[in-house]
Amino acid sequence: MGNKQTTFTEEQLEAYQDCTFFTRKEILRLHGRYRELAPHLVPLDYTNNPDIRVPLTLIVTMPELKENPFRDRIVETFSEDGQGNLSFNDFVDMFSALCETSPRELKTIYAFKIYDFNRDNFICKQDLEKTVNKLTKGELSPEEVTLVCDKAIEEADLDGDSKLSFSDFENMISKAPDFLSNFHVRI
Amino acid sequence: QVQQMQVPVVSSTESWNFGGGVQSYFLFLRFLVVLNFVSFLLIAAFVIIPSIVFRSVGSNLANSTPEDCMEYNPNPQGLEVFYNYFLDLLSGTGFMEYSYLFYGYYNNTMVEDRNFSYNIPLAYLFTAVFYFAFCLICIIAMGTAARVAVATGGSAVGNYSMIVFTGWDFGCLGDRATRLKQKNIHYRLQVDLEEESRNKRAAALTLCQKIVLYSLRIFMGFVAFGLIIGAFYGIFEATNFSQGILGLIIEYLPSIVITAGNFMVPLLCDQIALVERYSPSTTIIVALLAVFLRLVSLGVILFTLWSQITCEGNTSSGDCELCCWETRVGQEMYKLTLFDFLINIAVLVLVEFPRMLVDNWSNKLAQWLGRQEFVVPSNVLGLVYGQTVVWTGALFCPLLPLINTIKFFILFYSKKITLFNNCRPALKTFRSTTSTFFFLVVLLFGWGLATVVMVYSLAIHPSMGCGPFRFFPTMWSIVPTSFYNLSKTTQEFLFFIGSQAFSIPLFALSVVMCYFIALASVYGKSVALLRAQLKLQEGCDKKFLVKQIEELSRQLQISKHNAGVQD
Repeated sequence: MGNKQTTFTEEQLEAYQDCTFFTRKEILRLHGRYRELAPHLVPLDYTNNPDIRVPLTLIVTMPELKENPFRDRIVETFSEDGQGNLSFNDFVDMFSALCETSPRELKTIYAFKIYDFNRDNFICKQDLEKTVNKLTKGELSPEEVTLVCDKAIEEADLDGDSKLSFSDFENMISKAPDFLSNFHVRI
Repeated sequence: QVQQMQVPVVSSTESWNFGGGVQSYFLFLRFLVVLNFVSFLLIAAFVIIPSIVFRSVGSNLANSTPEDCMEYNPNPQGLEVFYNYFLDLLSGTGFMEYSYLFYGYYNNTMVEDRNFSYNIPLAYLFTAVFYFAFCLICIIAMGTAARVAVATGGSAVGNYSMIVFTGWDFGCLGDRATRLKQKNIHYRLQVDLEEESRNKRAAALTLCQKIVLYSLRIFMGFVAFGLIIGAFYGIFEATNFSQGILGLIIEYLPSIVITAGNFMVPLLCDQIALVERYSPSTTIIVALLAVFLRLVSLGVILFTLWSQITCEGNTSSGDCELCCWETRVGQEMYKLTLFDFLINIAVLVLVEFPRMLVDNWSNKLAQWLGRQEFVVPSNVLGLVYGQTVVWTGALFCPLLPLINTIKFFILFYSKKITLFNNCRPALKTFRSTTSTFFFLVVLLFGWGLATVVMVYSLAIHPSMGCGPFRFFPTMWSIVPTSFYNLSKTTQEFLFFIGSQAFSIPLFALSVVMCYFIALASVYGKSVALLRAQLKLQEGCDKKFLVKQIEELSRQLQISKHNAGVQD
């Protein structure tokens, strides 16, 4: 296994390995995938940390995210500017949080951020309605959507403010048996 | 090979595509394949192989009083046209009749060597009895295992927030899988929504509407009942009609009528249920009705056979020509099994495969027809029916468990292929925690019916001309006969064990002990599961409360600080 790669310096790779749940090989592979999205934009040589961001529209063409109804929200959550333009660091962070070895607490934090559409640190009824609509792609009638949202809030809301704070959400997720296996993107 | 049978939909990425009921179906089918295979090994070891080995060796027990039907030789004479072989293969007559497949071929040989003696009739009888006991033990063992899940209730189904937030599998790739997943989530939500709206509607009915609804239900009940009676009568007539006339269709007439009845009546009941707007749980009860239909239709066939065997008391009439009635019964069971298998394969190939092609080529037509659903209850009932037929016929057709093993094995893989290529997730989600237990209870009904048949056959007069029990007044009488051949001390010991003073308390005690052991193990498992759940819950709740306290105290401090600043 020779150190033939010139994409990253050793310190960079070490830093990535420390901050994320990926190995060296996986980080290099991720860089390849990142570059694939916009080959003219992303340089092969990342040793001097260029400030390149790939826009949202290109990121959501990835096959792992293409069919996901929450793809826009996922990319927006992990982007620094909040508009969905990911630098390579954000890109790696995103897939690291969604990978298999990522712990439950981290996934819960990010899940909450993803489902919070208006970014007010609460999942209110409108956020829920958007979620349900994205999940069922408009197959439920509006009354049914309202009913589902009311029931969901009723079940999970423990402090009685008719919206879900992070602790409510966390409490509900802790009882869900397949959250960890479902909230997992394989790259 | 059997151990490698992979039950589909076990992986987490696909487990919610089709619902847990499908998984239970395939687990059940795998259990049946293993059961049949092990029973076949049992029968082969104790009956078939000794029969083959000792066919030429050994002496026949002779009887001095000649009677009718002493000669049994159904081998065909003269030239045989080729298609007759095919007919014989399908109906178990001709060259297949006088073979190891059926009871009539086995001799009542008793081998007596220096240190070794083997009594084939005794082995045959004991193997049959042990086979039934073994199947019962297996079913009860599986049932106790499934009971644990029922006792602890399983995970909460219908929890809206959980479906909304954790329902989507982020690892879901591909257009088709995504669409399926969406449909599945939609259905899961809809099942609960439907239940809610139905309850609301039911509560809002006026008295007049209620009366109309109930009278409609009673009327439909009568219609369904009438249809079932009609189906039974048809089976009865068909079985009577098929005797004494050659021709494949006529031979298969009972099977055809049963299968037609089994298709039509549940279909009609389904339509009726739709009319009456029953909830999904009530349609499960309709499925139970189909169970009884299938098993009792089998009972009707047996009844007609019985009336022919006993010739309705008239042994000297010209119509009574059954020389080897056991082979006749074995043939009927063999035909039922074969026909059931052929129909299943035919339905898969001729109905579901074209539907898949239609789906792939023309979206509009597919939307109109709708994709084939994998309906778990009716498939399970098909399995239970097939297994009951095999149990009933095993005494008369020793190779039937082997045929059934092959049949279920092929069925497993074809259903698996059908599931993944054709079917969409079932509309009515089937709770998987209770379903395995339910399947085994139904299987137990079938076992009961087969046991009744076996016990009855042991008690009536076997044929004179064929089989290992000729010259005995009943099949069971071989046991006392060979008993007196044992040594004196063994006889006394067995007498003591068998005496009422000893055996009845022992039997009662062992039954009670078994019951309590099973109960204790089930409760022990439930306790362990509940304890684990409690620990998890407690930890989570504690964490939540601690966080709340922190939050509140922080807010209190902030408001105090603000009040202090204002002052």
